[in-house]
Amino acid sequence: MSLKSVALLGSLTILGGISAVYFHYNQEPRRNFQIGFLPVTCHLTCPVTHFINEQMHGEGTYDPRRFNGFPEMKEAFISKDLHATFIIAPLAMKMREQGVPIKIVHLGHRDGTALMVHKDSPIRTIKDLQGKKIAIPSYYSNQHLILYRTFQREGVRYDKNLLIETPPPEMPVNLATKQVDAIIAGEPLMAKTEMDGYGRVLFLSKDVWPNFISCVLAVREDVIRERRFEVQDLVDGIARSGKWIDEDKDTTMSHRMQAADIAAKKQYFNQKPELIRYVLSKPPDRVKYTNLKVRRADFEEIAALGVAAGIFNGTVTFDDYADTSFIPEGREIDAWKWELKQ
Amino acid sequence: MKSAGPTPRNDLPLRHTVPNGLAVSLRDLRMTFPGQRGQPPVEVIAGIDLDVHVGEFVVLVGPSGCGKSTVLNILGGFQQASGGQIVVGGQPVHGPDPRRIFVFQENGVFPWLNVVDNIGFGLSKHSRAEREQLIAHYVEMVGLKGFEKAYPRELSGGMRQRVELARALAANPEIIWMDEPFGALDYLTRLKMRSDLVRIWQSERKTIVFVTHDIDEAVQLADRVVVLTPRPAKIAAIVPIDLPRPRDMDAPDYLHARDRIFEAMGNLALARGR
Amino acid sequence: MSLAQPRSTPTWLALLLPLTVAVIFIGIWHVAVSWTQSLIFPRPWEVVEGMLELATKGVLHKYIISSLFRVLWSFAIAALLGVPFGLLLGWWRPANLAFNPILQLLRPISPIAWIPLSILWFGLSEAAPMFLIFLSSFFPITLSSMAAVRNIQPVYLRAASNFGLGRFRLFTAVILPATLPQILTGLRIALGIAWLVVVAAEMVVVNPKAGGLGYLINDSRSAGRYDLVVAGMVLIGVIGLILDLLIRQLEKFDEVRWAYATQ
Ligand SMILES: Nc1ncnc2c1ncn2[C@@H]1O[C@H](COP(=O)(O)OP(=O)(O)O)[C@@H](O)[C@H]1O
Ligand SMILES: [Mg+2]
Repeated sequence: MSLKSVALLGSLTILGGISAVYFHYNQEPRRNFQIGFLPVTCHLTCPVTHFINEQMHGEGTYDPRRFNGFPEMKEAFISKDLHATFIIAPLAMKMREQGVPIKIVHLGHRDGTALMVHKDSPIRTIKDLQGKKIAIPSYYSNQHLILYRTFQREGVRYDKNLLIETPPPEMPVNLATKQVDAIIAGEPLMAKTEMDGYGRVLFLSKDVWPNFISCVLAVREDVIRERRFEVQDLVDGIARSGKWIDEDKDTTMSHRMQAADIAAKKQYFNQKPELIRYVLSKPPDRVKYTNLKVRRADFEEIAALGVAAGIFNGTVTFDDYADTSFIPEGREIDAWKWELKQ
Repeated sequence: MKSAGPTPRNDLPLRHTVPNGLAVSLRDLRMTFPGQRGQPPVEVIAGIDLDVHVGEFVVLVGPSGCGKSTVLNILGGFQQASGGQIVVGGQPVHGPDPRRIFVFQENGVFPWLNVVDNIGFGLSKHSRAEREQLIAHYVEMVGLKGFEKAYPRELSGGMRQRVELARALAANPEIIWMDEPFGALDYLTRLKMRSDLVRIWQSERKTIVFVTHDIDEAVQLADRVVVLTPRPAKIAAIVPIDLPRPRDMDAPDYLHARDRIFEAMGNLALARGR
Repeated sequence: MSLAQPRSTPTWLALLLPLTVAVIFIGIWHVAVSWTQSLIFPRPWEVVEGMLELATKGVLHKYIISSLFRVLWSFAIAALLGVPFGLLLGWWRPANLAFNPILQLLRPISPIAWIPLSILWFGLSEAAPMFLIFLSSFFPITLSSMAAVRNIQPVYLRAASNFGLGRFRLFTAVILPATLPQILTGLRIALGIAWLVVVAAEMVVVNPKAGGLGYLINDSRSAGRYDLVVAGMVLIGVIGLILDLLIRQLEKFDEVRWAYATQ
């Protein structure tokens, strides 16, 4: 056989065969409502809502899409491939400032961030952080702003150059190998360093900034306009999940354990269930899922801090970036009536 | 030896219908290469007048670098002369022409084709049966039987030149230009190639203009030897070789012709001293 | 044929030497991890266990297929566009003058630098990682095809023009076969690069259900499963080797063998 026929037949056979197998495995159609999330407990309601929806109705209304870092997530959101996403609040506000038409419709959680140092580190107090290299998820994150706020209160000099933007999933290794002196991001990545035996908590967000918000659910404006019903359904579901997770927080914590088992699954966080269980229970107020309505005062504090830290120029207001109409003041949502079958 | 050889081809129309019987007619051929990077222009050919008759075997000899290849390239239409009148086949030359095939100094056989496909390269207009018959004919004529499916990289240098010659012959040209085709071969192979070329020329009766720097080669092959001067090339002498072929290299007439060429090249002393 | 046989090494030695090196390498790996008591870096055996775990979960072959799907299609499209484009640039000077500067400008940009744009343009579809793989192989394919035309021995073009070939036959009977060996070498190098880029390309979020070997590495890294990170690396190496061996088979054909060194 000639080179021509071998090359032609060979490549057609290989391409055809690979394609056939590929499409055989991936014939599930992509759902037309994509939500971005990161494997952090700040976004826990995303997998929980998706899973419970699937269990109750046979199929979810949307597809959760996991990201490793915020830059890719932001780009996918801008490219309109994501309809909604869990995202750090200041980044959503910044995108709005830059003219990307999105709205914050719900909070993801409260608290649930920790600052970790290496267990051998001499850093014992917040004051010791002066002049130290700290990994943050993004300049446009509340982890950045919580540092800014705490440093001001404790009289620590703030130096932006010592803050290193790092995808949260990479932070544990960076701490283990001592490439940075401290890391700050959402759980359970911080607790992982503790469980793996090289991290130590310097502070939990709840202790320096009670009711701290790091992540919110943001939705594209065109999606809100054209698919309001689905967005409402999504927001209700997220709210229900939050309520459900925290329903027995101070008693058996059964729902928290169920939520941990759901989130640990391969298609969601792909993490060890024990790790998420740990974060959700030790202590139980390490991260909270109640009180998730979008409120003006919370965001105006964030906005003011952001302007002071130099990440916002102060041109957008609460009414530009927030949409409180899905769960207005006075409307209360009930928890799911659902239990995970063991 | 049963080298009765293939029968001569009578089937092909002879297109040698030039009015004055001249295959080539050069008048005051001149060539000057423009100087490169500030160098002065290089004059390579300084006025050549030459006629080649249809069916004639003419050999150009001259020292290396005198401009032999340049003359042949101009005749073949690969280079444009800077001056003079160049008439080939009764018409001015405008470029390469399949009626005149070039056999290149650096072997021009296509390495991606086997022997048969190389020889048939110029026969795309023939029917399949005709093509096969012509190929078989020339494979035999140049002595490549048994190597039909071989690729050039599997052949010796001499065999590759045979393929190129066969490819030229198969296209049934009026003229074949040959630029030192045996230059890269070893001595014995070269001798064999020369005698085969003479045999083939006798059976095909093509006009051949052949370039070499080897005087023995010239004397063995040519009807007339055109001796060129060193660069810029002019005609130093034209030496007719009126000896029967195959030529006896020890015959006095042969040696005499050789001496005349050496003399024309200004190297008689060298020739005598041998 | 008068090829001098190179002094041949006995087969057992040709097998034994690389095996010894591999065993020593794995041994050093194992001892190094044990000594440093690394909590993070996996031992060789853990990597094998990781692979077995993926295989039993049924995702290993799925990931391999996904990566192959992306790489082979992107490569095929790059070849289909790059070879004719390169030949055109090599043959037609105005095209060369027009396009060569921009090609030379785009060529040194790493596919990783294209990640943000590819997500902006193609979002979460398969097109985003495939675009990156396409880019990584399109430039070497185009440039080697272009160089192939420039490197054609002038004597072949002169012979062709002597036989009075028309444009079409000149292309099919001379230019294409004369450039084929160098085009093939270019394709082989480009396939290697395309496969090399799979990890970076799959850093762009790919559909987690389809996955991929690059995705496996990025994802396992997030999850802190460094045994699976190394498993992904090993698999990428092995499959890359197999791809190279396959495409190398094409270099043995008579149509192109003339251009490669005959040993
Ligand atoms: N394209 C060119 N430009 C400039 N000089 C050339 C060119 N081609 C040939 N020459 C020069 O012309 C002279 C004659 O070359 P050529 O005809 O190849 O000689 P030969 O008699 O050895 O075949 C040489 O000195 C060579 O350097
Ligand atoms: Mg010459």
